[in-house]
Amino acid sequence: MEAYLVAIGIIALIYVILSLGLTLQYGLTGLINFGHVGFFAIGAYTSALLAFQGVPLVLCFAAAAVLAGIAAWPIGLVSLRLRDDYFAIVTLGFSEVVRIVITSEKWLTSGVQGLPGVPRLYEELGGFTAQLAVFATILAVTLLGIWMIRRIAGSPFGRLIEAIRDNEEAVQALGKDPARFKIQVLVVGAAFAGIAGAFYAHYITYIVPDQFIPLVTFYVWMAIIMGGVGRVSGAVVGSAILMLFLEGSRFLRDVLPGVSEVDMASVRIGAVGFLLILFIMYRPQGLMGDYTKR
Amino acid sequence: MTTTRRQFLGTIGATTALIGAPTILRAQSQPVFRVGALCPVTGSGSPYGSGMQKMIIAAAEAVNAAGGAAGHKIEIVAEDTQTSPQAAVLAAKKLIDVNKVQAILGTWSSGVSLAVVPLTNDANIILMNTSGAPALSTPPANAKGLSYRYQATNDRFGRAFAEIAEKEGFKRPATMAFNNASGIGNTEGFRKAWEAKGGKVVENVVYEPSQPTYRSELQRVLAANPDVIVTGSYLPDTTIIMREWFQSGQPVKWIMPGWAASPDLVKAVGADVLEGVISVDSVSNENAPSYKAYDEAFRKVTGQPGQSNVYAAMTWDMMNVLALAMEAANSTETAAINAKIREIANPEGEKVYTYAAAKEALKKGEINYEGASSILDFDQYGDVTPDFGVFFIEGGKLNRRYVVKI
Repeated sequence: MEAYLVAIGIIALIYVILSLGLTLQYGLTGLINFGHVGFFAIGAYTSALLAFQGVPLVLCFAAAAVLAGIAAWPIGLVSLRLRDDYFAIVTLGFSEVVRIVITSEKWLTSGVQGLPGVPRLYEELGGFTAQLAVFATILAVTLLGIWMIRRIAGSPFGRLIEAIRDNEEAVQALGKDPARFKIQVLVVGAAFAGIAGAFYAHYITYIVPDQFIPLVTFYVWMAIIMGGVGRVSGAVVGSAILMLFLEGSRFLRDVLPGVSEVDMASVRIGAVGFLLILFIMYRPQGLMGDYTKR
Repeated sequence: MTTTRRQFLGTIGATTALIGAPTILRAQSQPVFRVGALCPVTGSGSPYGSGMQKMIIAAAEAVNAAGGAAGHKIEIVAEDTQTSPQAAVLAAKKLIDVNKVQAILGTWSSGVSLAVVPLTNDANIILMNTSGAPALSTPPANAKGLSYRYQATNDRFGRAFAEIAEKEGFKRPATMAFNNASGIGNTEGFRKAWEAKGGKVVENVVYEPSQPTYRSELQRVLAANPDVIVTGSYLPDTTIIMREWFQSGQPVKWIMPGWAASPDLVKAVGADVLEGVISVDSVSNENAPSYKAYDEAFRKVTGQPGQSNVYAAMTWDMMNVLALAMEAANSTETAAINAKIREIANPEGEKVYTYAAAKEALKKGEINYEGASSILDFDQYGDVTPDFGVFFIEGGKLNRRYVVKI
């Protein structure tokens, strides 16, 4: 049981890191990023490919964050001219472009065959101890991320990006250049996704383009909406609720006798959807409250 | 319609406790051997997954009816992979850590199998899959030799294609592949085998999934003037390709995998378009008594003929092989079971077809289980080599002309 809980914890924390990035971009700055999974994929592949070359894993993780951040730069330039829904479409397109490039560049990524055998963190510890060590590491990184986002939100920079979210014209009228700040926010948020991607690659140990579909982006969106948009605690709590729904529903069988094993799979997915709907009906502002509409 | 946070958390907590409680209360004391059924019940594998899972359960019931294996009753715990590696990893973790299963059967897509195999290796348990990717045969995936594959590798499909192309006297083959591991595996396997025979492939085209038209890809292939086009494709894309090829009017023959050139394809594009197309599929061991037993069980549970799901025949065999190896080893230890798998499935020994009969035969000496899906002889990588049926589409019917062995 413990190992299973730790596994859920690791995946949940990966989603927390992804949510933190999106909280910075959407919750604080109001950028509708529908392409989060693209940066996640860049992080995963960067770290995995470097690890295959024998680069120490610490450097792989750093490179994943840096490369994902750099990839966000051109998207940031586009955001100078696009607002809201237009920006959403561009980012959604970007994540698909990333996936198709990974699929096509076989010499580098071995395309649709994927990369099996990505080295694990703490391989030498073995078994459950290694799992715990991974969990502790990712927890530490998450806490560091939470601290960073809170610092950013509380700083003059944070107040400025929140002003951009609330009224971009007013910010411009005050003589600030919103574009520059938007780019910075995008790059930092993408770096978070890159780190999450690196953890994902080294934990699952097998990556293939099929794993980086827009559904992942929308899982992250679900998490921050359920948790409460614009709040750091919302990102954490929302990811926890998402995992609770997804994994907790596996134990439905024990309370639902008379449903066949095959039907159970569909009942389970149905139950997850039903819970999500109920959640949004009864708690539309998210569990921790929507900070943007205070 | 808003609720306070405290009320809300209370509701969530109560629900969780309700769901969690029975798991904790239920005590397990019987001597059972738990097996995980990890099939793609939802997602892109869903046409096969439910049948696969049902056949694992049906085979386990047959084993239990015959008195179990190695003195143990088989208990199946089922989970859904959702045909997604991430969901499958968590499902496998749950099976291993919470349900304490001692083997996992039935992973379908290569992506899922490759993601699950590190976990089963860590836990030192057996994994049996129906995936095609060559990477599953060798380390790191199969480093411990605990992974068994019941489906032909894509590479073997490609080799069968090359045999057929040679036999039919084609000289200028071209290939078209759907861009995924399976599609490209088929055509690359063909190219390698064909070039080994001293031939030359005039054009290789890889196309992206879910396009409304494949006209430009077709033009590229047809421009090379091939006499046959070998595909690694699926039903939806093949439907479009065949329609557009027929409109082009250029005469050429086709060799396709059976999951693309199926009766459904005939229904979709019409018999005259497909006249003479060659459809190749691994044939289930249809004349064997084990296939009859499988077919009966499959009809009973699903109401459909056994042919409608080749993977279900494979999962049926998985359970039987595992139980026989347990019985032969008279142990529930993975290492002991694993050592017996080839012994009970591969030649030398009396040919057996059902678990009950095999259990009896085991008392007398060596056995050789002949499966429903193939004769099930595992090579050193844990792979099987089924025979391939060559079907010609004639007047809208798939007629099997001959069988190719590789």
